Amino acid sequence: MRDVRLWIKKEGRAKYISHLDMNRCFTRAVRRAGINIWYTEGFNPHPYLNFLTPLSLGQESDGEPLDIRIMDDMQNDEITQRMNGVLPEGISVAVTSDCISKCADIAFARYTLVLDFEDEAKAQSFTNEARQAVNDGKLFAEKVGKKGRNKTVKQIDICAHIKEFDIKTDGETAVIDTVLSSGNDNLNPTLLVSALNGVIFKEELLHIRRKGFFKSDMTEWR
Amino acid sequence: MFDKITEKMLSAVQKPGRYTGGEQGAVVKDKSSVDIRYAFCFPDTYEIGMSHLGLKIIYGLVNDRDDAACERVFAPWIDMEEQLKKYDVPLFTLESMDPVRDFDMVGFTLQYEMSYTNMLNMLSLSKIPLRASERESLTPMIVAGGPCVCNSEPVADFVDLCMLGEGEEVTNDLIDLLKEHKKKGSAKAEFLREAAKIDGIYVPSLYDVEYNDDGTVKSITAKDGAPSVVKKRIVSDLDSAYFPASTIVPSIEVVHDRTTTEIFRGCIRGCRFCQAGFLYRPIRDKSPEVIDRQCRAISDSSGYDEISLCSLSASDYSRMRELIERLISWTDDEKINVALPSLRADNFPKELMEKLAGVRRSSLTFAPEAGTQRLRDAINKNVTEEEVLHTARQSFEGGWNAVKLYFMIGLPTETEEDVKGIAHLAQKVVDEFYKNPDKPKGKSVTVSVSTASFVPKPFTPFQWEPQNSKAMIEEKQELLRNEITTRKVSLSCHNSELSRLEAVFARGDRRLGKVLETAFKKGCRFDGWDDMFRYDLWQEAFDECSVSMDFYANRAREYDEVLPWDHIDYGVSKSFLIRESEKARNSEASPNCREKCMGCTADKLNGGVCDARCKTVD
Ligand code: SF4
Repeated sequence: MRDVRLWIKKEGRAKYISHLDMNRCFTRAVRRAGINIWYTEGFNPHPYLNFLTPLSLGQESDGEPLDIRIMDDMQNDEITQRMNGVLPEGISVAVTSDCISKCADIAFARYTLVLDFEDEAKAQSFTNEARQAVNDGKLFAEKVGKKGRNKTVKQIDICAHIKEFDIKTDGETAVIDTVLSSGNDNLNPTLLVSALNGVIFKEELLHIRRKGFFKSDMTEWR
Repeated sequence: MFDKITEKMLSAVQKPGRYTGGEQGAVVKDKSSVDIRYAFCFPDTYEIGMSHLGLKIIYGLVNDRDDAACERVFAPWIDMEEQLKKYDVPLFTLESMDPVRDFDMVGFTLQYEMSYTNMLNMLSLSKIPLRASERESLTPMIVAGGPCVCNSEPVADFVDLCMLGEGEEVTNDLIDLLKEHKKKGSAKAEFLREAAKIDGIYVPSLYDVEYNDDGTVKSITAKDGAPSVVKKRIVSDLDSAYFPASTIVPSIEVVHDRTTTEIFRGCIRGCRFCQAGFLYRPIRDKSPEVIDRQCRAISDSSGYDEISLCSLSASDYSRMRELIERLISWTDDEKINVALPSLRADNFPKELMEKLAGVRRSSLTFAPEAGTQRLRDAINKNVTEEEVLHTARQSFEGGWNAVKLYFMIGLPTETEEDVKGIAHLAQKVVDEFYKNPDKPKGKSVTVSVSTASFVPKPFTPFQWEPQNSKAMIEEKQELLRNEITTRKVSLSCHNSELSRLEAVFARGDRRLGKVLETAFKKGCRFDGWDDMFRYDLWQEAFDECSVSMDFYANRAREYDEVLPWDHIDYGVSKSFLIRESEKARNSEASPNCREKCMGCTADKLNGGVCDARCKTVD
């Protein structure tokens, strides 16, 4: 018995599979792949699968960590290979590794955001103003939550969650490369975008892709 | 992978996964490599359509051909419909995302009458002209199948042809013919004339319907060489009938998401209100070896951890013991549950039940359908009060304290006594709970009574019966409500307006086509969804077309009246239905098909063979 970490690439059609549905998908995929996985004990045993980092509907990723416990000594490469034969279009296992870093050590995540605009001029002025806004450090977004029965609206200081931020124009698009807080104090990149939209104007279409995770000292989380 | 507009539409809807395809097991073919592209349309949401076994069978069957491709289309939910209109994008399939109108054949499966408006909406969103007469080219050929086409007259204006009965063979015949005519460059009319010669293919435009002054049908006349009566198709041997070796595994949650296979076709019970019990005759069993093999193949290729053995009444399967023993020899090890959804608790051996350790039931349900033995005899629902109470007792002893009871209101021959009888039966179930000496302390019992309004359907012994008027149904519901004296019994009554429309369309004729189109244009769709159903718009549509709902729903028909579906033959003979109807009027039950063959004549479709006969249950 040992724990392994599958790094799940999610893109294209598959980005519209929700976090909850990902669990269902993998429960079945693991069975199809013939991987001997550990089942929880109790009245209604089910295969143990742990997606460590929820990814919002519509976002892509280069590698989402999924921890599973296997019951035999199947090698990491074989797990990767078997899984890649049975997954829906747009989902693949980039690599299978041992569980090196601890879940609690996730501090940051890197994203690429691509914002489409009507024309190059709009993309250009968005780029300039967004860069300025982040430099000024005055970006806020509202996060609607729930406390008991009551709706709560929390003001979030976006810049306090930005570790790195770089933006450039590429034709009709603005491309942002950013590192944001993740783990316990996670900032969804859509909040960054909605804060930027608040001061500037709304993009036509937004693509978000998660590129990887880091520990608090910005070393790679593995 | 998607173009910009598709991305915009998908990011604006609540459940984009309904439209993106790409699931494990989905088949995407290069369109230049096939001769015929078939768009299989399910006129309801993805979640409902993907739970349907028939779709998976036809999908596999067509895609197993090298010369054809089958792709799926579901009714887009309101939010997606809005997006399609906003960007002026025609409805597309899940696999190639190509427009439906580019396909050679577009097939709708009509599972319930209340999906007719969805079919029109899907045609319209595809930018395909609604009426068959407005479509001049050979393709797209608009076809329909499913149980509702046993009387397809209300949709006759819109579809080019119907496939009657079971689709496993006739779909292939039709694709072969269309391929040939597409190559030849035939005109649509020529193709339809040839299609009408295939057994089980009904081409509505080849039949002229005349009406009497009183509005009833005078005659239905075949022309251009079409057969005067069209017989439904069946597959004779289920063991050798096509069944897919793998299936699509939906990536988002759907209603029924598990390995499903049929164990037998048809039903031996002959409940007189139940259309399915007559439409799927004769009885044909599948052998345990074949069921076992199919379950194994689907489970291995899908990764599902539940198997559902489907049929109209699972406990009537003749070789259940053998089947379950085979299945549990491997499902236990692989942590797979076996479920029997249509199990009648009253006649299933307890020890077999225990073998199905995985069978989980959240609450106990019974369908006595009627409140008194007299009425149960009349509708031929052979469940006695003692059986219901006995099973209730057993389950209370087993620790249950909630029971659901299903009934129908407005059944033929129903009296006040019968309606009150529902309350009395529910009360007796409550009493059983308190008779149990070991009942859990401090716990109360809840008996939930749920009533639906009876809908008379074609090819049943009740096809001549009037449905109760809305006022009568509501009066009976009130009577029942007043008869319930305890809070331990809760009552919920099904929407009677919906049942009324069902009754109209189930036994309707071609004059309903314009009503359907009018209602659709007023915005009716997803009528089967409570929050979408707009009875007011339907009423307007009937008024504007000067068509009376009462004429179709509430009128008693004589046995010699020409019925709109008299040129359609589903195997059961009219004289058999009349015999059963007369027995119902005398409150007389019939034995089930295994006890005694009642001579419905459906066996003739199968060369005189019906598996209900001469077989003993093991
Ligand atoms: S042929 Fe006889 S046994 Fe078979 S379904 Fe008809 S009535 Fe029942």
